[in-house]
Amino acid sequence: MDSASRYLSLGKPNRADHLWRYTSWKKVHPTGDISEMPPLGQPELSLSMIDGSEPPSGIKLEQGIEGNPDFSMDNALTNAFLHASAKSSEWTLVVDKRFSPGKPVILEIRTGDSPSVAHISLDIGEISEFELITKVTGRSEWFGLLRTGQIQNGAIMNDVVLGLQEKGTFLRSDAIAIGRDAQVRAGTVSSGSERTKSDLRYIMGDPGGNIRVLGSILSADSMHIDHHIEIHHEAPETFSRLSWHSACGGSSRTIGTGMLTIRKGSRGADAAQIFHNLLLSESAEADSIPELEVMENDVVGCGHGTANGPIDEEQMFYLNARGFDKDGAKRSLIAAFLNSTLSEMGGVELHKWLVNELSLKLEALHT
Amino acid sequence: MSEKMPLLEINDLHAGIDGNEILKGINLIIGPGEIHAIMGRNGSGKTTTANVIMGHPDFDVEKGDVILEGESLLEMEAWERARKGVFLSFQYPQAVPGLQVGNFLRKSVASIRGEDEAKSSNFREKLANAMESLDIPRSFMARYVNDGFSGGEKKRFEILQMILLRPRLAILDETDSGLDIDGIRTVSEGVNAAIRDTDSGALIITHYSRILEHVQPDRVHVLLDGRIVLSGGPELATKLEERGYEWLKEE
Repeated sequence: MDSASRYLSLGKPNRADHLWRYTSWKKVHPTGDISEMPPLGQPELSLSMIDGSEPPSGIKLEQGIEGNPDFSMDNALTNAFLHASAKSSEWTLVVDKRFSPGKPVILEIRTGDSPSVAHISLDIGEISEFELITKVTGRSEWFGLLRTGQIQNGAIMNDVVLGLQEKGTFLRSDAIAIGRDAQVRAGTVSSGSERTKSDLRYIMGDPGGNIRVLGSILSADSMHIDHHIEIHHEAPETFSRLSWHSACGGSSRTIGTGMLTIRKGSRGADAAQIFHNLLLSESAEADSIPELEVMENDVVGCGHGTANGPIDEEQMFYLNARGFDKDGAKRSLIAAFLNSTLSEMGGVELHKWLVNELSLKLEALHT
Repeated sequence: MSEKMPLLEINDLHAGIDGNEILKGINLIIGPGEIHAIMGRNGSGKTTTANVIMGHPDFDVEKGDVILEGESLLEMEAWERARKGVFLSFQYPQAVPGLQVGNFLRKSVASIRGEDEAKSSNFREKLANAMESLDIPRSFMARYVNDGFSGGEKKRFEILQMILLRPRLAILDETDSGLDIDGIRTVSEGVNAAIRDTDSGALIITHYSRILEHVQPDRVHVLLDGRIVLSGGPELATKLEERGYEWLKEE
C-alpha cells in the first residue's frame, strides 16, 4: 500500500490518544478536511556553512530518497500524510563517513508564500562529527516537514531545528534511528508559526546510543505549540535525557508530552525527562505530560518531572537591585530560561548563532 | 559626624511584611566615607533593614523615610535605587541558570554606570584586576550567575559586583557568613578598596566581629526587636561577641 492509500485508510485519529489530545489532526491539516490530500508546493532548500561559505565535499543535499522509510511506529498518520504529500519534494542529506567540517552547517528551508512540504532523509555517515542547523523561515500558511533516516554508528551530531516562520501552521514529524555508540544532541528552537504540531521520535536500537533532546520554546500572542517527543531504548547501555523549556506569553498555549520507553533487554539503560514551563501572563497556558514505559528491571535510572511557574520574584529583585529595569529584567530572565537548554544544543559557535537568532525574536515578540 | 550632607539618613523607619511590623522606628545617619555596622540576633530586623533600603517589593513602609544624599528613596523602584547608587550584597544571592556572568556584569554596569563604561577597555582592565584581587578565575565569566557556586564563590561574586558598580552606599548583608578566614580577608580588602578614601559609605550587617577587625567600622549599632538600642565604636562589636545580647535587654 502506498503512503496516500495508507493515510486515507487510517481515518480520523482518536482524541483520547496521547498524541492527539491537545491538537486535533483537523486543526493542523492543510485544509481542515482530513479526507483531502491537497497539492502542496516545494520549498527552497540550500546548504551552507555558518559563515555563509560553500559546504565542503563531505556533505551534500541530493534530490530524492532511496527506498521507503520505516513507519512502523504509531505516528503513522502524520508520517503517511507527509510522505505522500512530499513525493515531489524529497531530499537526502548525505554525510560521508568521518566527515568533520569543524564548523556548523546550515540547511535553510524557505517555505515561500504558499503551502509547501519537504521530506528530508538523513544519511549521516559513521564516525562523522558535525553540527547541523535546519532553519525554517517563510510566510507560508502551511508547511510540513518530515525527517527520517539514520545517524550511523559512532557518529557525533548536534542537530538543531529552528522554526521561525512568520505565520501559519508548522507540522513536523521526525523518525530518526540512532546507531551504535552514536552521540546525538537533538535541539528544537521554536518561536514562529501560529500553530505548531511536532512529533519527534528517536529510536536507539543498538547498544551505546546516547541522545539529549532539548527544547527552547518561546510562544506569544495566541500561538499554539504542541510538541510530542518519544525516545525508545531498544538496546543495552543506551542513554537519554529530555529537557524541554517553554516560555509562554500572551494568550498562547504550549504543550509538551513525552514518552520514554525501555524495552525488555535494554539492560543498563539510563533515561530521564523533564519539562519546565515559564508562564509570562495570566492567560498563557502550559501543559506537560511526561510518561514512562519500563519493561526492563536492570536499568541505571528512569525518571521524569515537570515544573510550571511564573517568573521568580526573587530573581527579578536580584536583577532589579543590579540596575535592570522591569522590562530588562524580565527579558533577561526569559532569555536565561531558554538559554539553559539552548546552550546545551551545541558548541560555542552554534550557541552564539542561536542566541542571536532568538534574541531578535525575543525583542520582536510581545511576551 | 561629617558636616557634609549625610550620605544616608534613616528617620523613624517602621516597616514590615504582610501586616507584621518588623522595623519599629529605626534612626541612622551614615556620612560620606563612613562604614557602619549593624549587629543583632536572628530575627531582629537586620535583613529587613537591608531589603527596605534596597526596595524589596514584599516589604511595606508604614512610617518614616530613607534618604540618600537628600533624596527620598521610598517612592523609587529597586532598579532606580540601584541606579542612584544603592548596592545590596545579598545574604543569599539568587542563582539565575542560563544567564552568563559576563553578560550579566556587562548589562549591570551598563545600567548603572552607563553603556560607555561597560564597553570601555578600562572596564575590561578593571574587571580583570578585580577578579584577580578576589581570586576569581577567568572561567567564571562563562558560568551562569550563582548557579552551582559554592558559598564562598557567591560572596566573592557579590563583592566583585560592588567593586565594578562603585556604589554610593554599599549594604553588605552577612557577606562574611560562610566564609573562611582567607575569604573574609579577601572580601574585607574588596570593601576597603571600594569604600575607604572615597565619598561612598557602607552598612555592614554581621553576626561576628571578625570582618570588622579587617574593615574597621566608624560606628557599630545593635538592632534589637526592630530598633537600634545601642550605638558605639568598633569596641562594641567585640563586647557583643563576648557577652552576647542578653545584657542589653537587662540594661
